[in-house]
Amino acid sequence: MVIAKMDFEVTYTEEQQRFRDEVRAWFEANVPPGITRTPSSPEESYANYQQRRDLGRKLGAKGWLFPMAPKEYGGGSLDVDHTIILEEEADRFDLSLPPFYDTGGTLGAPTILVWGTEEQKKTFLPPIHRGEVRVWQLLSEPSAGSDLAGVKMRAIRDGDEYVLNGQKIFIGSANGTDWMWTIAVTDPSGERHKNVSWFMIDASLPGITVQPMDLLGSGEGGGESGHKNTIFFEDVRVPASCLVGGENNGWKVASTHLELEHGGGGRIGRNRLWERLLSCCRETRRDGKPLTEDQDVRDTLADIYIKGEVTRLFGLRNFWLTYARRPISYEGPQLSLYRKLAGLWMTGAILETVGPAALTTDPIWGSDDGFLENQQRNGIVAMHPGGTADIQKVSMARRIGIGRSTREAAGKVV
Amino acid sequence: MDLALNEHQQMLQQSVRSFMQRRASKGTIVALQKSETGFQLDTWSTIAELGWLGLLIPEEYGGSGASLTDAAVLYEEFGRGPLAGPFFSSGVLAAITVLEAGTDEQRRRILPEIASGRHIFTVAITEPARSWGPQGVALALERRGDRYLLNGAKLFVSDAIAATHLIVAVRSGSAPEAISLVIVDKQAKGVAARNLPGFMGWQAEVKFDNVEVPASAMLGGRENEGWSSLMRAMERALPVLCAYQVGSCQAVFEMSVQYSQTREQFGVPIGRFQRVQDHIVRLVNHLDAARWTTYEALWKLDSGRPASASVHLAKVVTAEAHMEACNAAHEVHAGIGSSHEYGLTPHTQLSRTLFHYLGEPKWHKRQMADALAW
Repeated sequence: MVIAKMDFEVTYTEEQQRFRDEVRAWFEANVPPGITRTPSSPEESYANYQQRRDLGRKLGAKGWLFPMAPKEYGGGSLDVDHTIILEEEADRFDLSLPPFYDTGGTLGAPTILVWGTEEQKKTFLPPIHRGEVRVWQLLSEPSAGSDLAGVKMRAIRDGDEYVLNGQKIFIGSANGTDWMWTIAVTDPSGERHKNVSWFMIDASLPGITVQPMDLLGSGEGGGESGHKNTIFFEDVRVPASCLVGGENNGWKVASTHLELEHGGGGRIGRNRLWERLLSCCRETRRDGKPLTEDQDVRDTLADIYIKGEVTRLFGLRNFWLTYARRPISYEGPQLSLYRKLAGLWMTGAILETVGPAALTTDPIWGSDDGFLENQQRNGIVAMHPGGTADIQKVSMARRIGIGRSTREAAGKVV
Repeated sequence: MDLALNEHQQMLQQSVRSFMQRRASKGTIVALQKSETGFQLDTWSTIAELGWLGLLIPEEYGGSGASLTDAAVLYEEFGRGPLAGPFFSSGVLAAITVLEAGTDEQRRRILPEIASGRHIFTVAITEPARSWGPQGVALALERRGDRYLLNGAKLFVSDAIAATHLIVAVRSGSAPEAISLVIVDKQAKGVAARNLPGFMGWQAEVKFDNVEVPASAMLGGRENEGWSSLMRAMERALPVLCAYQVGSCQAVFEMSVQYSQTREQFGVPIGRFQRVQDHIVRLVNHLDAARWTTYEALWKLDSGRPASASVHLAKVVTAEAHMEACNAAHEVHAGIGSSHEYGLTPHTQLSRTLFHYLGEPKWHKRQMADALAW
């Protein structure tokens, strides 16, 4: 009898190795040079976004943009191992899948797969999975952040349509979107948690205004970093067919993407920040020697490295729990919490180690591409998107079974 | 990729768990805290009969040649007690040290005795007024014809009272790593061991007064090779120790969750208070950090991958996690947690006792950085 061993690594078959060769050759032929350079003007940002979308469409045509999504809905129907290969090969080019900011394929589509009707799946999913549309999520409002169930935006039924009025905040990125998904109140007199519904909306509908915000950071890296928007809805008429998961059932529907956003899906990948930080410390000299030869610096680097390793292992564990369909409880919000706290703590550790050079984007005196300055900002800002650190703790406590009289179950993600 | 225990390991886990319920219940463990050795002889014999003392010893030397992950499953369950006694000292650290450092003749002579439980070994490394590392080994090995003479002391030697034999790290030359490992029969004339009192468990001062050591007691038969053997042995033994601490953290976590669900103040279970939840969240984050760094290191070792950096990392994370998990548990329990009868304090004392054991976290952090070639 062959007894399987605990294994922290994916082992690849010959067929999978051939797939890797094919993917690598494809990326080498199709990734435009300079695509990962940080744009320095809105024009450059837009041009870069178009390059990334174009790459997304090409990947989508092969079923490689959202490899695990079902083929019948425009995905690749590939298994976890092939998906990991695709992600690792994209990662070699400092890209991820999708190669642009999108919460349609990552969070919206899995939600529709769980909750949508067959017709909705056929309508919404293929364009997302093929990279033909970019989609943003619209959740927070000026008066509803951590208390997401307290959203005020209304969606009142009028014949075959819902009429949307309200305001959403901290949304998206630069360069606009094609579709949006959101939750809004469909029963203003209804009980909390039973008064909201989930919608997929065409962003070009009349009455939608997108207004950029001026923020310390977006909480994310990438080509469109640092950019979020406020979105106003004024008598926006949305077809009733865009409501997913049943009227007033939106809170349950939201549990799917909230679970994914809180880290439930897990993550595998290398720690780019660490690699860049280490080479930065090797190259930076202070008092005549590289930073990496200073004992205090080495000790702090060890602490930074350790937090990165624990974050990686939590991500790996969650990935395994999800795709091996193992029972999952508090692990999603735990990953999210740990990553947030480690990121914030790291701003201090990096500032102490590298010094004020970590705070400037100056091409001569700052870090390469200003990546450390970016971390100094986003370590703070990233504490809040997708649920604040405090909300992750509340969520963990409920799942552990101490926050409420009944233990809360994790959201359904597959 | 598969992070689950295999079928065989799950069965082992179940049998250790039911053994612990029968033979090392909370009451038994609490009662043994103030004993000389921390364990009962009949428990020792049963564990030896079950083959658990020889788990890591190859079959040719009287053991069962299991993987380190198998041993970790066993020790994680022991840690939930926490079961005290020289199980790790003899069955893991000493056994692997003899395997790494001994000649084949020594392995054949010593390992079956360890596996059967007839002899109990412990490794004595640290010394008074000395730091951890090869420079900390000063106890000199004096040559006297075909034998050696030992004069001096070792400090913080685990399970020295229970042990029948000591593997003593001694200085045999002036080069930094000129260290040898010699086996000393605890019955030998001039050996005196004394448990240290206080907030630590079964750590002893061992004095050597003109102790005669035969040349055949030199592990490996050659001088000055002890430190590198010891480091190789530690690389394999440490993650098993970490698993023992993971088990302790797991028990402390379950204890704290249960207490916060049942203890009521202000008319509600205290788990409803977010201040209390914060302690439990902190606790489980430490527990899981320790668990997954430990099991990844074990996987690397069992699958023959370079594991040095991962082992140092697991030791750092686990030493700190164990201490912090117990601190958080004391916050959850408040007063009752400090009552010895309740069962939390053996874990807390263990977390302190093991903090510096086999190298303090800072030393391992620096070794990790070196192993990663920064």
